[in-house]
Amino acid sequence: MNRLMALVKREFWENKGAFRTTPLVIGGIFLIAMLMFLITFNHFDNEFQSLKELLRFIAQQDVELRGKILYAIYLETSVIFSMVLAFVVFFYLLGSLYDDRKDRSILFWKSLPASDTLTIGSKLLAAMVLAPLIFWIIYVLTSIVIMLLFSVVIMTLGENPWTLFLSLGNPFKAWSLVLLSYFAQSIWALPLYGWLMLVSAFAPRIPLLFAILPPVILGILELWVDFLQTFTLNKNLFGLFGHWFANSPLVISADQHGNDEFGAALGIPLTSDFDHQVTAANMFDRLFSTEMLVGLIIAAVFLTATLWLRRRATES
Amino acid sequence: MNHVIEARGLTKRYKRTTAVDNIDLQIPAGRIVGLIGPNGAGKTSALKAILGLATYEGHLTVLGKNPSTDRAALMEDVCFIADVAVLPRWIRVSQLIELTEDIHPKFSREKCLKYLSSTKITLDHRVKQLSKGMVAQLHLAIVMAIDAKLLVLDEPTLGLDILYRKQFYTNLLNDYFDEERTIIITTHQVEEVEHILSDLIFIQDGRIALDCSMEKVQESFVEVMVAPDQAATARELHPLYERELFGKHIFLYKDVSREQLRELGELHTPSVADLFVATMSGGAA
Repeated sequence: MNRLMALVKREFWENKGAFRTTPLVIGGIFLIAMLMFLITFNHFDNEFQSLKELLRFIAQQDVELRGKILYAIYLETSVIFSMVLAFVVFFYLLGSLYDDRKDRSILFWKSLPASDTLTIGSKLLAAMVLAPLIFWIIYVLTSIVIMLLFSVVIMTLGENPWTLFLSLGNPFKAWSLVLLSYFAQSIWALPLYGWLMLVSAFAPRIPLLFAILPPVILGILELWVDFLQTFTLNKNLFGLFGHWFANSPLVISADQHGNDEFGAALGIPLTSDFDHQVTAANMFDRLFSTEMLVGLIIAAVFLTATLWLRRRATES
Repeated sequence: MNHVIEARGLTKRYKRTTAVDNIDLQIPAGRIVGLIGPNGAGKTSALKAILGLATYEGHLTVLGKNPSTDRAALMEDVCFIADVAVLPRWIRVSQLIELTEDIHPKFSREKCLKYLSSTKITLDHRVKQLSKGMVAQLHLAIVMAIDAKLLVLDEPTLGLDILYRKQFYTNLLNDYFDEERTIIITTHQVEEVEHILSDLIFIQDGRIALDCSMEKVQESFVEVMVAPDQAATARELHPLYERELFGKHIFLYKDVSREQLRELGELHTPSVADLFVATMSGGAA
């Protein structure tokens, strides 16, 4: 256990820029954007003469609606963090078993009494738990700072931030759901993570190419064969990937949930395979689905192959 | 378990070539073994098998363990420097020490810091900021701070300048080596290690061309410097190898009586390099 933790720590040290600096920069950009909005609001040509007028308008709106919008905003703030996290994890895994082969430091890592299984486990853990956790913490901090910022501005304009918005939505619920969604997404994405690690362990060079080209070629071939046979184009790798993405247990889009409510949505509500409302139950629904089971089997195959390759990474 | 390394019929085949060809090997504890051979002779392949870094055929145990299945457990008692400068470039010295301490049960931070204190390396340095010689110093400091039973050094000083090379081997011998430990060294700079070796293994085309202790080398092998007019007589005594230097002929003999040779000229113990050349060019053992 100690060794595993030490190896995860190593992943953090090596990827501080991606795991820590990147979300901090996003948070910073967020805050700067908010500040710019507040400062320049009066210069816009809009229906409100001033921020104060806007606040009055908001204060007149239905309390329930305000609460829902606020709650959705808490959730939606995570989207930019989630998207960048996805990129960070993608490239992290792609390099995870490649970089040390390239610079030969694998010979040092293999001289430590840590098994290849433990090494791969630590990298997977960094991708599935560590990176999401750091991104989540910075997302929460960003939300808090933005709330404080708005509260201060509202107070200087002579309004009460508590009755205006703070008391209307439950940020803790939104934050916990986002954290849960990050871990759910880590499991949902396991087949992809397995594939990226496999490519990382295998690619003699340019892992990105090896990661993208085979599925793209396979997808195109499938399209072609499918087109020749049935003219339907409904089952192929691209479609599968699209479904996988649209069904993610992650807040990705905004949704009306089929009625007039304003809210956030899990994945993209294009399909009706799963319910897209942001609830823990809906996340678990995805994790305990047949699709997920198949995904886990695929991930297990990829990861077993990864381990096999890693054991032989120093052969020549 | 009296032998640190025991190999029977050790073979490593690549797609087209056989790098290690049916080698038998026994290395006892407390030795410093020089594994010497030309490029592509199979040294690194043999070492990789020993360190669990590559698959192999045949029987092989290292400290009683099977390297191909127990690499992680084996590495608690085996250290290796596979090449100069294979430390990860992004890491800080302090992180490297912390990590090794967390992962290696036999690592002593105090020892490591003591070794480092005699160098210009600081804890805040990143590996990529260090010169090649300093990286080698750092790696050696890490390795020497681990209480291992077997240390394998594969070209540990390649590309370093002579000051670093000398110091590297001096540190190794003075501060690290004792009767409990075994060290295996491969290098092309034979002259620099020959005085610290206790055993010599020559490897050629994947086979062992010579395997004997340095005492045995001094007993069995002798070089005679012979004047040109005596050369024909010298040749009749079946030398292993003959070369010319400043008009004199130098003959290398194995197990030929010294009284007989003394009549021909001055006797020397051959250097490992000369013995190596003689062996490689056709037929000692």
